[in-house]
Amino acid sequence: MNFSLIWPEVLIAALGFIILTVDLVLPRSQERRRNVVTGSIAAAGMLAILVFSIFYLRGRVGVLGADLYLADRFALAFKFMFLGAGIAVVLMSIEYVGSRIRHPGEYYALLVFSVLGAVLLAGAGDLLVAYISLELLSFSLYILVAMSRGDRRSAEASTKYILLGALSSALMLYGISMLYGPSGTTSFRGLAGFLFYNFSPTVAVGFALFVAGLGFKLSVVPFHLWAPDVYEGAPTPVTAHISVLSKAAAFALALRFFIEAGSPTHERWALALAVLAALTMAVGTLTALPQRNIKRLMAYSSIAQVGFVLMGIVANTPLATDAVLLHLAGYAFTNLAAFMAIIALEHRTGNEEIAGFAGLAARAPFAAMVLSAALFSLAGLPFFAGFVTKFYLFTATADAGYIWLVVVAVLGSLISLYYYIMVMKQMYMGTAADGKPLAVSRLTFATLLLLFAGIVAIGIYPAPFAEALESATAVFAPFAGR
Amino acid sequence: MPGDGFALDWVTVAVTIVVGFAAMGAAFLANAVLAPRRPSVDKATPYESGIRPGPLGWSQFNARYYLFAILFLIFDVEAVFLFPWALVFLQTASYVFYAMLLFIGILFFGVLYAWRKGVLEWR
Repeated sequence: MNFSLIWPEVLIAALGFIILTVDLVLPRSQERRRNVVTGSIAAAGMLAILVFSIFYLRGRVGVLGADLYLADRFALAFKFMFLGAGIAVVLMSIEYVGSRIRHPGEYYALLVFSVLGAVLLAGAGDLLVAYISLELLSFSLYILVAMSRGDRRSAEASTKYILLGALSSALMLYGISMLYGPSGTTSFRGLAGFLFYNFSPTVAVGFALFVAGLGFKLSVVPFHLWAPDVYEGAPTPVTAHISVLSKAAAFALALRFFIEAGSPTHERWALALAVLAALTMAVGTLTALPQRNIKRLMAYSSIAQVGFVLMGIVANTPLATDAVLLHLAGYAFTNLAAFMAIIALEHRTGNEEIAGFAGLAARAPFAAMVLSAALFSLAGLPFFAGFVTKFYLFTATADAGYIWLVVVAVLGSLISLYYYIMVMKQMYMGTAADGKPLAVSRLTFATLLLLFAGIVAIGIYPAPFAEALESATAVFAPFAGR
Repeated sequence: MPGDGFALDWVTVAVTIVVGFAAMGAAFLANAVLAPRRPSVDKATPYESGIRPGPLGWSQFNARYYLFAILFLIFDVEAVFLFPWALVFLQTASYVFYAMLLFIGILFFGVLYAWRKGVLEWR
C-alpha cells in the first residue's frame, strides 16, 4: 500500500495528539493560557497542513488497498473545505471556550479529530472505511456537544445525540451487512455492478437501511428530530461545526456512494430520494417559521438546505454534482459567517432569543451586517454566494428532468426569506433595552471579514471556485449512466 | 427481472421479520408461563448483587468507578485485537506489524493522559 498518499491525514492525527500533549504539559492552574496556546496550535497546525497538502498532493493521486481509500481530487477538494472550516471554527471558539468550556485542550483536540473523521470520510471508497470514519466524526461531536460548562441543555443535547446517533449507526451497519451478504464486497465500485445485475429485495432493504443511517447524520426529514435540540444545546461554535463540517462530510460520502455504487441503478432509488428531498425542504422551511431561538432557527434552516443539496444527488448528472460541491462551499462560508456573527452577538448579550437581537445593528454594526449578508445568502439573494449556488443547483436539477422538485425548492426559498428577514428586522428596526455599543474583538472582526469576503466572492465571481470544483468532480466521469 | 426468484426473495424477508418477532414473543411467553414467582425484598432491589443498596436513594455516592471501567475496556479491546494479530503478523505484509505498534502506542498515550490528569487517584 502506498502510504505516502495519506501524509496529510497522518499529520492531522498527529496534530490532535500534539494538542493533548501540550495540554498535559502546561500547568493545570493556567486555564486561560492553556486555552489560547492549544487553540493557536490547532488553528496554525491545520493551516500548515492545508498549505502542505496544496503543494504535496499536487498530481499525487491514487488508491489505497482494494478501493479502500481513494486519495483523488474529489477527496482533496473536501480536504481543503474541512480544514478551512476547522480553522474558522477554532478561531470562533477561542473567546467562547475561555469563559464557557472547562477543558480547552480536549476541546481543540476533539475538534481536530472530528476534522480528521470528515477528511477520511471524503476519501472512503468502501462501506466499512466510511463507517469507521463516520464514527470517528460522530464520537468527537458527541463529546463536543456536551462540553458547555454546567449547562443542562448541553448534557441533554449530547444524550439525545448519542442515542439517536447509535440508532443510526446500527441501522447503517445492518444495511452494510445486508449489502455485503449477497454481494461479498464492501467497496462502492464493486457494489455498483452487483446492484445492477442482482437487485434483490435483500439488497434493496440493505440499501435503504444504509441510506436511512446516512439520513440521520444528514438530518433528512423523517430522521431530523435530533437536530433542533442538539443545535440549541451545544456550545455555539460546536453548533457551527456540526452544521457545516458534519453535514458536508456526510454529503461527501453520499455523493460518492450514490455516484460510484448507485449510478447504474439510478432509476430504482431516484424517486424515493426525490420524495425525501422534497419533504426535507418543506418541513425544514415550514417548521423554521415559528422559531424564537436563533440556534433552533438555524437548525431548521440547515435542514432545508440539506433538502436543496439532496436534489443535486437525485439528479445525478455531472452538472448537478458540480452544483452540489459549489453549493456546499458557498454554504460553508455562509453558515460559518452567520454563526460567527451569532456568537459575537450572543456571547456579549447572553441572549439566544431572536427578540434579544433587537437594536443590535446600532450596537455592533459590523457583526449585524455580516449576519444579514449571511442570512440573505442562505435565502438566495443576488450578490451573495447563496444566489449563485442555488441557481446552479436548481438549473442542474431542472435539466435532469425534476421540474416538480425545483418548484418545491423555489417555493421553499421564497418562504425562507420571511424568517431570515424577521431576524434582520429585529436587528435594524427593533430598539435595544441597553444602547451601549458592543465591543467586537480584533480576532472576531478579522474572522468575520474573511468569511464575509468568501460569501461575496462566490456570489459575484464564482468562476474560479466552479472550475476548481469541476476538476474535483471529474473523477466521477467513468461511472455508468452519467 | 421480477420473476419467481424475486418474489421468493421478498418471502425470505417477510419470513425473517415474522420469525424475528415470533421468537421474541415466544421468549417472553415462555418466561411468563414457566418462571416461578416468589418475590422477596432482596429480589426487588434494582441490582441483585447480594448487597443491599445504601441507606437512601438520595444519598451521595461515588460515581468515579466508571472511569476505571472505561480504562479496563480499552485494554479489553486491545487484547481482542492482539490475539488474531499475533497469529498472522509474520505471514502478512510488514505494515501490519507497525500498524499494531501504532495502535498500542495510541492506547498507551491514552493511559498516560488519564494518569497525568489524575484519573487513577482515588480521592
